[in-house]
Amino acid sequence: MSRRSAPVVLLLACVLALTSCTVPRPRDDRPASTVPIDRAGVEQVLSRYDQVREAAAKLLDPKPLSTVESGAVLAIDTGSFDVAQRLSRGVGSDGTSDQVERLAVPRFTGYPLWFVVEVRDQAAKVNRVQVFERGSAVDPWFLVASPETVLSTRLPDLRERDGAALTVDPRSATGMSMSPQQAADRYAAALEDPSAAAARTIENDDFRAQMRTAARRNASLDGVRFGQTWKAEKVTHALRTADGGALVFATLERVDSYRVRDGIQVTWPDDSPQKALLESGVSSSGRLRYLHQVLVEIPGGSGRPRVIGQYGGVVEAEGP
Amino acid sequence: MARRLAWPLVVVGLLIALAGAAVMVVLGPDSRFTTGPHAVRTDGVAVVTAPDVITYRGLQVDVLVEVPVNKPVFVGLGNTVDVQDYLAGTRRLEVTSFRAPWTVRTAERRGRPALPGAPTALDWWIADSAGLGGASISTTLPDTPVSLAILAVGASDLSGLRVTFAYGVRGGFGLGLGALLVGLGLAWSGLLLRRGPSVATAGPRRPWRERDAGAQELGEEVEVVEEEVYVFVDEHGVEHEITAEEAARLQERLAADAPDPTSPDPTSPDPTSPDPTSPELTDPEPDTSVAIATETGTGTGAGEVPPPAVVYVFVDEDGVEHEVSEEELADYELADDEHVDDAPADDGRRDG
Repeated sequence: MSRRSAPVVLLLACVLALTSCTVPRPRDDRPASTVPIDRAGVEQVLSRYDQVREAAAKLLDPKPLSTVESGAVLAIDTGSFDVAQRLSRGVGSDGTSDQVERLAVPRFTGYPLWFVVEVRDQAAKVNRVQVFERGSAVDPWFLVASPETVLSTRLPDLRERDGAALTVDPRSATGMSMSPQQAADRYAAALEDPSAAAARTIENDDFRAQMRTAARRNASLDGVRFGQTWKAEKVTHALRTADGGALVFATLERVDSYRVRDGIQVTWPDDSPQKALLESGVSSSGRLRYLHQVLVEIPGGSGRPRVIGQYGGVVEAEGP
Repeated sequence: MARRLAWPLVVVGLLIALAGAAVMVVLGPDSRFTTGPHAVRTDGVAVVTAPDVITYRGLQVDVLVEVPVNKPVFVGLGNTVDVQDYLAGTRRLEVTSFRAPWTVRTAERRGRPALPGAPTALDWWIADSAGLGGASISTTLPDTPVSLAILAVGASDLSGLRVTFAYGVRGGFGLGLGALLVGLGLAWSGLLLRRGPSVATAGPRRPWRERDAGAQELGEEVEVVEEEVYVFVDEHGVEHEITAEEAARLQERLAADAPDPTSPDPTSPDPTSPDPTSPELTDPEPDTSVAIATETGTGTGAGEVPPPAVVYVFVDEDGVEHEVSEEELADYELADDEHVDDAPADDGRRDG
């Protein structure tokens, strides 16, 4: 082939290549799946969430939140709005200054669909690791988990395939010391009884220390029989980390119960949620129910799980 | 090498050209193949394609749905995961297979008589449209599994539904034309290669083309054959190519005419040493000018050398020479009977 004809052949090859790009072709025969949202869509979801949250915060009315939140987050926020109303103080708008730090969207073959977005709240000096879920095709995206980490906490790198984050079956312990559901259950068991066998399989992190300190303080009240129970809810959101571990979103239910001797009354500080819910305190028996959303990192291999973020609050009170 | 490519190039070019022409004919100037309207019999609220019915990507699809009496209707294309979840509990007519232009198989699926939510309120449609009495979408099939849904809006149903379907390639007619031209170009290139290089492309830098252009193939290595050429130069300085035999004879004559080596002539060259003025047969172009001079100078003096053949020439009134034989000489008047020894030393020719 002469040198003169080489450019012509090259041109023809380019034309053919470009033409073939636009020619319809059969799709691969993989089962139907979807990566349900892209970054632009996430921005829209966050924007809508911020608008609704802003409107609810202005009125101190948690009802609009039900259009953008669901599950434990809605319960926790409703409780905090309730407390704010009773204490006549505002709640954080939770959004307008947020900046998306990271986005993880898994691939799904069926509903529910969900994605994880890490947003930085400069005002509160925290990172929120939020899970938005769409339960069915007719539902909007609901915020279902929102554990917070301090700004210095760096989330583990996540494993991806074909641009989609990989999820972990909550009951699978492959590559880890325990499954996500086991980690949540053992964490709850360790919080309830630090001497339990499960406690030795869990990292003794700051959250455990704080909860134990609060429980010891309540238990040390004279004339008060204090009890605390912890229980993990069913884990539904877990992402595979690059080291073969998992990043688990778990919700722990905590119930504090008080039995007070006659003539004694338990009260809380004026600006505390407990005071807002149990205005006159507990004089005979009382019960406070909390929800804590925790972000658990299970390292790959034989490492012990630890909590790296949490978001929670009192959601229910019974007294006096 | 290039000639070996010629026929495949022609064949491929023709195939591409044919494909391009076929695309142009099928799609037409609007780059679409349209079929319909086709009646779809259903009294439900949803018609949807099953997950594996739409298997192509990159295809330009236009769907027009029409219902009578201005009933509200919706048509949408969405990810199969979304569409299937949306209509999973709804009574629907499911298209289980489709073959162009319009061979459709359907199956009734049981479920609730109404949709779980208004289709217009959903944000996951890839393409959607709603209208009274009709709606249409025009989109390119993405690289994800998709399903097409035709849905009744509000309290209406899809009875009397008619569907017009068109598919094609965006700019397909142009692409077909391009393929036709490209194919023809390839075929033409192949024919050119088959014919070989043109005279215009054969230049002085490739002398082998001139010698045997027909037998050479482009890109092949050329075997260089060295050829000895014997030339003598006459007294006019004109070179004459002679054969090896003639050169040998000439050398013999030169050897015979050479002076006796026992009495060397100081003016003659040493015959045992290479002499640039003596014939050198190993030289492709031996300088024979001296040899010719010697030959003409000695005439018939050398007994071994045969006398040069006498050539009789007849010169007509126009001055043109014609060679005549000895037998024909009788018909001519001799104008010059000078002996060859006295004639000018050329090649022994006599004028007649």
